[in-house]
Amino acid sequence: MSGQHNRVRALTARLCLGSLIALGGCAQVTDRVILLPQPDGQPSAVEVASGSQRLLLTQPYAVAERHDGTLRLVKTDAAAVQQAYGAMLAQQPARPRSFIVQFEANANRLAPGAESVVAEMRAALAALPAAELIVTGHTDRVGSVEANDKLSLARAEAVREILVAAGVARAAVTVVGRGEREPLVPTADEVAEARNRRVEIKIR
Amino acid sequence: MLLLCASLLPCAWGQAQPAGTAASSAATPGVARAGVVKRLVGTVTLVRAGQAPTPLQPGAVLRVGDTLRTGADGAVGVTLADDTLLTAGANTELVLSAFAFDATTQDGQVQVSLWRGTLAMVTGLIGKKAPEKVNVQTRTVVLGVRGTEFIVDATGAVQ
Repeated sequence: MSGQHNRVRALTARLCLGSLIALGGCAQVTDRVILLPQPDGQPSAVEVASGSQRLLLTQPYAVAERHDGTLRLVKTDAAAVQQAYGAMLAQQPARPRSFIVQFEANANRLAPGAESVVAEMRAALAALPAAELIVTGHTDRVGSVEANDKLSLARAEAVREILVAAGVARAAVTVVGRGEREPLVPTADEVAEARNRRVEIKIR
Repeated sequence: MLLLCASLLPCAWGQAQPAGTAASSAATPGVARAGVVKRLVGTVTLVRAGQAPTPLQPGAVLRVGDTLRTGADGAVGVTLADDTLLTAGANTELVLSAFAFDATTQDGQVQVSLWRGTLAMVTGLIGKKAPEKVNVQTRTVVLGVRGTEFIVDATGAVQ
């Protein structure tokens, strides 16, 4: 890591020497912000502010550099990022991964097919260091918000018990009731929708 | 650190916010479990107010106000409660200045201060719902985030 940084700094010094001749001055880069691409290719952005100056990064590998107190926009690429920051990025935690199990209407019983989802989840879980499971219950929009908060938490707790019975450490599991706030299929209020009666098992 | 905090930040950022609701058992009352160390390499130290610095291991819990320090051979990856991925590179000092997350409503805030070194960040659920609640700063720049992955390098700041 430090070797790579030194190489980057040496490169900066050479560029600096070039600009010394060309511009009669040499500025030090104190901060650098690099926008990375999103894995799903979705657009994203970072706004970088220094004093009253603002720079908006919107393209992957766009860089905001603070150079002698002034922000300027430059570009980098995947290979240069890997060279300079690969050792850090190698320690980046795994991205959370979600598994969905469905529930029968107004009940705490899992719908058929949930066992294979749980088995797939267990296989993925085994590969994670210091693994956490976040078990989040969801309801459809039949009933009040308060009642659905309770029902969703009860569903999450039911799934936790199934996971613990299957050998998952209880301390690794957090249960959350998200009620009807996050329907998989948007519906009007009071519409029964089986696909929204579900529990998400997120592992990370 | 405190001087910097006083001069650069409203120090209220360092205050733990109450998190969790009746419908969530995400947080143990009174303990702000903001994140968990997932991976690390080399020398990585946790500095917590009122405690001697301790070497970190995977599985260690990060709380609001904690400082992560890495050596020349160090790097560490932490997952925050809202799925934010924070990864610190070598020779880094990074503070989780503020963090709050309500798992039921997905409201909250993240405030990270990179005093030196490098940080890679993948924003999580807070950034998805309210990007203006995610802030990263170095000694000289402040970042506003819009649902994103990025690297911040403050290596040149303290030469």
